Amino acid sequence: MPRAPFRASVAVMALGTMAIASCDPVHDSAVAALGDETPGVRQGPLHRAGQPCGTCHDGTVGNPRSFSVAGTIYVDEHDTTPAVDATVTLTSANGASYAATTNAAGNFYVEPAQFTPQYPMAVLVSYGAAFVRMSTLVGREGSCATCHHEPAGPTSAGHVFVPADGVTP
Amino acid sequence: MTSARLAPLLAGILLATACVATSGDARVAVQPPDRGSFPAVADLLDRRCGTLDCHGVTYRNLRIYGREGLRLASTDRPSSRPGTTTDAEYDATFESLVALEPETMSAVVSQAGAQPERLTFVRKARGAEDHKGLAIWAEGSPEDLCVTSWLAGKTDVATCQRALTTR
Repeated sequence: MPRAPFRASVAVMALGTMAIASCDPVHDSAVAALGDETPGVRQGPLHRAGQPCGTCHDGTVGNPRSFSVAGTIYVDEHDTTPAVDATVTLTSANGASYAATTNAAGNFYVEPAQFTPQYPMAVLVSYGAAFVRMSTLVGREGSCATCHHEPAGPTSAGHVFVPADGVTP
Repeated sequence: MTSARLAPLLAGILLATACVATSGDARVAVQPPDRGSFPAVADLLDRRCGTLDCHGVTYRNLRIYGREGLRLASTDRPSSRPGTTTDAEYDATFESLVALEPETMSAVVSQAGAQPERLTFVRKARGAEDHKGLAIWAEGSPEDLCVTSWLAGKTDVATCQRALTTR
């Protein structure tokens, strides 16, 4: 078989695969539901605080780099002041653990090469002298905001915060 | 066989199968497990299976309601405060669990909990069947004994409470 036609066939197949992979209406609608970027905040470590990071950072071809666990920590239950330099300790079912630190937006993110949890995963968040241990284990979801979104209600525990007395609400 | 002979045969098969369709009003009598002692089991399921990223969501076949995950009332929210799961939430979880495989569950219950592994939810929790959440507990563990004792009609409340403290 001549080499040039073979390469052309491979290229067409690759393009076709990429085209199919990019057509996921469920994913597309989930991304669209997140809305636009906050004005004045560039795409990067400080953007989209409080949103489910894994919606875009899911490792899909063409999407931003993948995160295994990511989220946002706040100081208080009632407002969205970020908890800066909070420590989020993740512990896998196999006992392995990893500590991530929140940035100026209260965001933290972990890449798969750093730590990929084996679920169920335990979570402990400390901020200054206060700390809070998640009362349940995380079963499968690496994005905190999938369950901890606004507003708090029957299907959401509300955003993650560290109560001063260290007690989970 | 010629097509002329085959056609009446196929038509006959189609007619025969059309006549055995189950009525939409069909009812199956089942013997459910004990509802009275279910809260001890439900609290364990809430803690270990009912998180908002697993069975604490309304689109799952097994929907677990409770204080630590999915709440039934629009005014409630997840809470770690013990004792705040409502009777309506216990009812909703009970109905969801029993309705998964009512005839099989009835068979297990009527045979004093024999071979509980006939139930898919028991196998999935043990990791004996493909489960997104992998094995949640091992056969014979306090968690497993809590569930199987309930299916046997002898809910071991103390073991259920002990299982709640393990992670």
